[in-house]
Amino acid sequence: MDNAAPRFSAVGAGAALELRGVTRLFGALAALTDVTITVRPGERRAVLGSNGAGKTTLFNCVTGDFPPSSGTIRFFGEDITDFPPYERIRRGLRRTYQISALFPGLTVRDNVYLACRGVSRGRFSPLRPGANDALMHATEALIQAVHLTSVREQRVAELAHGQQRQLEIALALAGAPRFILFDEPAAGLSPTERRELIDILTSLPAHIGYIIIEHDMDVALRVVESVTMMHNGRVFKEGLPHEIEADPEVQELYLGAGHE
Amino acid sequence: MSLVQGAHQETSQPAKVRAVLLAWPEFNKPAVWLVAVILLIMPFIANGFFLIEIFATTLILGTVALSLMFLAGYGGMVSLMQLTVAGFAAYMVAVFGMSANTNISLGWPWWLATPMALILATAFGTLGGALAVRTEGIYTIMITLAIGAAFYYFTNQNWAIFGGHTGINTIATPRFWGIDWRSDIPFYYVTLGVAAFCYFAVQYVSRAPFGLALQGVRDNPRRMAALGFNVNAHRVAAYAFAAFIAALGGVLQVWNYRQISPGSVSVGACIDILIIAVVGGITRPVGPFIGAFIFVILRTFALDLLVKFGLDGNRFRLLIGLGFLAIVFWSSDGVIGLWERWRRGAAAADKRAGGGHGHG
Amino acid sequence: MTRFIERHPAWALILLIAVAVLLWLILAVWPPGLEEAIGRKRVFLNALFNGITLGSLYFLVASGFTLIFGLMRNVNLAHGSLYLFGGYVGYAISAWTGSWILGFIIAFVAVALVGIALQIIVFRRMEGQDLRQTMVTIGLSIVFADLMLWAFGGDFYQIQTPNWLVGPIELPLVTAVRSSGEAVYLRYPLVRLVILVAAIVIGIAMWLALNRTRVGMMVRAGVDDRDMLAATGVPIQLVFVAVFALGAGLAGIAGVVGGTFQSLSPGEDTRFLLASLVVVIVGGMGSIPGAALGAVIIGLAEQLGSVYIPTYAIVVTFLIMVLVLALRPQGLLARR
Repeated sequence: MDNAAPRFSAVGAGAALELRGVTRLFGALAALTDVTITVRPGERRAVLGSNGAGKTTLFNCVTGDFPPSSGTIRFFGEDITDFPPYERIRRGLRRTYQISALFPGLTVRDNVYLACRGVSRGRFSPLRPGANDALMHATEALIQAVHLTSVREQRVAELAHGQQRQLEIALALAGAPRFILFDEPAAGLSPTERRELIDILTSLPAHIGYIIIEHDMDVALRVVESVTMMHNGRVFKEGLPHEIEADPEVQELYLGAGHE
Repeated sequence: MSLVQGAHQETSQPAKVRAVLLAWPEFNKPAVWLVAVILLIMPFIANGFFLIEIFATTLILGTVALSLMFLAGYGGMVSLMQLTVAGFAAYMVAVFGMSANTNISLGWPWWLATPMALILATAFGTLGGALAVRTEGIYTIMITLAIGAAFYYFTNQNWAIFGGHTGINTIATPRFWGIDWRSDIPFYYVTLGVAAFCYFAVQYVSRAPFGLALQGVRDNPRRMAALGFNVNAHRVAAYAFAAFIAALGGVLQVWNYRQISPGSVSVGACIDILIIAVVGGITRPVGPFIGAFIFVILRTFALDLLVKFGLDGNRFRLLIGLGFLAIVFWSSDGVIGLWERWRRGAAAADKRAGGGHGHG
Repeated sequence: MTRFIERHPAWALILLIAVAVLLWLILAVWPPGLEEAIGRKRVFLNALFNGITLGSLYFLVASGFTLIFGLMRNVNLAHGSLYLFGGYVGYAISAWTGSWILGFIIAFVAVALVGIALQIIVFRRMEGQDLRQTMVTIGLSIVFADLMLWAFGGDFYQIQTPNWLVGPIELPLVTAVRSSGEAVYLRYPLVRLVILVAAIVIGIAMWLALNRTRVGMMVRAGVDDRDMLAATGVPIQLVFVAVFALGAGLAGIAGVVGGTFQSLSPGEDTRFLLASLVVVIVGGMGSIPGAALGAVIIGLAEQLGSVYIPTYAIVVTFLIMVLVLALRPQGLLARR
């Protein structure tokens, strides 16, 4: 499916994603303070915390949307702290956005095609893809995988919210992802759509690990094996889902107050 | 997956034709064929004045404006320096080729001077673009306008290469195979060929990975980076592509007038290119040519028209300015947008009258 | 300041040395070797003062431009037209009444009114569409230019300097020492110095108004975050109108100054629009201190450039812009 995969095999290390002492300042405000997290390859983890706990900032630091003020980030053993976002993505990191970040002027197919093209060669190709282009097949397969085949010729601006969320996930699955950051993928979805989302997440190949930010505990705890609880830009608790759920401090902090 | 492949195996001759038509939807419309035929037989319809002053000039200005349309429409970068790039190419043709200013011109034959001019102008446009992409959005206009203005003032002050404010005159034009390519009819076909080439190149690239990615950059640069694209490299590449098109327009322009002076690259002229693109419509490659046609017609006939209505013939700029304001106020997509809105309105009226059959 | 030194010790040192050299060049009597190398000290001082006073004129134009841009994200490409319009109004009034000062006041009011009209009639309708607003300002600049050409023709106009400002004054700066040992002092046109002082006063007043008053705080908050300004319940439209009026009025004043210093004619609108663009790109978009710094740099570059490297004066200005864009694309004093 992707020709970039062999490039990564040289890197051998224990952790898929390893953050050490990551701090991010906005002016005088510390959005993240000394965050240290290690995620194994294939591990699926939820990050919980109230608004402003630093969850999305954490994602932005990992993908390089804004670099951390200090600390290091390793991706499968490689130090990616100073890499531009596109270099990280080409190494197999993916993310989705809390507010759908799509290309509204383009069709569903073009959106997915761009995602496939972004992690393969020929990004600058001035030649149109032929009908038998391997990436076109990958594109069609991906569209099918997120159940968008019926609307693939439509412009994204015309899609319903739930379909946009599905497309958002499709973009993150393009190429050969090794680790995905899901930022509130269930936001604004109907109960049926949530079930579909859980289907998509649980049917991902086992080697693909992810971190998911999710307020809906029903969704979050069903698709992860570990939980990191954040508060005020720091890691507050780490543990198994049922431990975190049962933790009285967590309940007071999060389930009691910040739940939306 | 298997379904998709099955569909491809069935690809037969008519299906291939359909695929071509799908890739080039323009070929599917009779109006397009009509315009193409009219343009091809134009020399048999129009005399020299119309052929060159109206149609060739339209095609040249349209080509330069097309380069702006490519950047603005697909890349979201409104560059006001496209005419400067064209002017740079024109100056380079004059400097490397032959002209009356023998102390400046190097006297190269046209087939060496022209590629040189195209390469240098493309490099110039790319460097300017590399500067402009240091910032985003609305700043692009400011920076590219400043670059254009700096070039204008520089050509005014520099005598060694650019011939100061008098510019370079009596520039030689190509002559081979026994044809003077600057005589009216051959020159018209040269401009038509170049303009058509640029038009189809832009149209084609817009659906190729490079063009699609550029539209992605326009819609959401941050997400493009999160899909593995080097956004700034893409933007600079777009400037390079656009610079080449603008440079082609510039070469045609200097062949047309056989002289180049700072007046041709003034700030007002840079802004005229923006007006042409915006009035025509900035979302499709045909827009700049429509805009250029309107602009050239107005520029040529406004004087007579204004005098006929008992007004001062010198108020051409006022007319252009007001027309431009009107377009910006009422249509986000130039006259094409107005035309389509009118057609949609008419179609909707038809539908209501016909009892609302059909889907949607 | 101390933070700057801590962060960039090398730059701080270079700046310090540059300032020291400049001070020495201004205050010391030049040794003959130096005069042979780069010309007379009087020429240098004149170019220096011309550069600073030209900078003050650029500041007046660019501060209005940057103020409007900073708050409303409106790149007002008709700003040059407002400048020229202010100049023509000032010329008409001062020629009619004979009062230079009245010319200033009327020009400020007239151009501010044009600004208010633009904001209320045009820009309010397309809030948030910064590209479309900019297109409109381009259209307006064409229309204004042609209307002014219609009304005033293509002639050059110069606004009469009032009698009490005519002539040079002697400054306590030695340009040379005669063989008799008598010092020769720099003589410089009084009107330019008055304009310089006025520009400094206006600049400081604007800075104080923005940093020390409630309205100013609101405007600054709006520069940083427009949504926040709207959320605080401030009558944001009123603030916009006021800022547009002030920015336009400043351009009008600058027109009178430019008409006194130099001259008014078609084409000056473009020239001063471009000067504003470059000043703002160099100094930092949306920043008043940035406009001041950028204006002085560009003014000095133009004047020193035209004295010492006359053919390439424009290139110097452009190179400064390129350098800033390459090293600090947001401009020297912008925060973003």
